[in-house]
Amino acid sequence: MPEWKLLVRERMESFGLAPAEGEAIVAELASHLEDVYEEACAQGLCKSDAIERSLGQVADWRGLSRNIQRAKCKEGMMNQRTKTLWLPGLISLTAAMFFLMISELVGLQPRFLAPRFFAPMHTGTTNANVPLVAYLPWLGLLPLCGAAGAFLSRRAGGQRLARLGAGLFPGIALFCLVCFLTLLGQIVPFEHDWFALVTALLFVSVPPGVALLLGVIPFLKEDGSAPLASSQS
Amino acid sequence: MTKRIRSKIARGSAEVAILTLLAEQPLYGFEIGKRIEERTKGALSFTLASLYPMLYELEKRGWVSGRWEANQAGRDRRYYCLTPAGKKALVPLRREWKVFFRALDRLAGVAHA
Repeated sequence: MPEWKLLVRERMESFGLAPAEGEAIVAELASHLEDVYEEACAQGLCKSDAIERSLGQVADWRGLSRNIQRAKCKEGMMNQRTKTLWLPGLISLTAAMFFLMISELVGLQPRFLAPRFFAPMHTGTTNANVPLVAYLPWLGLLPLCGAAGAFLSRRAGGQRLARLGAGLFPGIALFCLVCFLTLLGQIVPFEHDWFALVTALLFVSVPPGVALLLGVIPFLKEDGSAPLASSQS
Repeated sequence: MTKRIRSKIARGSAEVAILTLLAEQPLYGFEIGKRIEERTKGALSFTLASLYPMLYELEKRGWVSGRWEANQAGRDRRYYCLTPAGKKALVPLRREWKVFFRALDRLAGVAHA
């Protein structure tokens, strides 16, 4: 009987994987060829014909090496999380920022709401005079951004959680940004009223979050655990 | 004898075919290929070159897992079994194929062709 492992190893290109993993693949492919060979022998084929039938299983060894490498590679050019979460999330965020910019450019003014407790640090005042600002037209457009993120995530085969994350991404990013700036003392100094701080954080995150969620909900219904465009190579 | 299906169509169906077989019992690569050929009366057949990249892809997705075990002849073979994630993935996959066949039937009457 031929030395199948040797035959496979000679024909395959380097997988670019750990040696042990590469050797396990060679062993598995060799065992498959061995089974084909034995089946052919059992059907009455002579040894040379049986070997020919076995090796005929692979027309292009280089192509097979590439396909296996692609299938085994943990991270392709873009991994699943990037496709289903980060990219749709960033698109959703970009759309949200774009709408905000447009709404300001066309002169849609934000509403200034009480209570007025924001105080820029440089004023050094405790009696805040910067109000909470509600961009109502922008909030009205946010469901579209959430829907875009969730839709793109679902199209890439994202699970419900990924779709939710992608859709709510602008709200989460905004919340993180405000938290970060707050930590730096840029918006509300630490010695400031904690109630005001929490209210402010909720104000900048909850309404946009709810608006985004409205857009996301329709895309949470269908189960997308099986990617529509699965990688058939 | 059933006519063999062209490779492009066969390749598209490989995922559901493999997962369906593995939902019944763990199998190794050669067995998977044989079972598919037998159950489809030769209409679908997968060579080593078409089968293993797909198996590794399914393994990467976490839908199947492989482990080395001795087969009935006492030889080490890598048996694949369906993971819970694979079981979950198979449900919508089957549904998609059903929808696809119905749609194709409505369009081209493939069921009566």
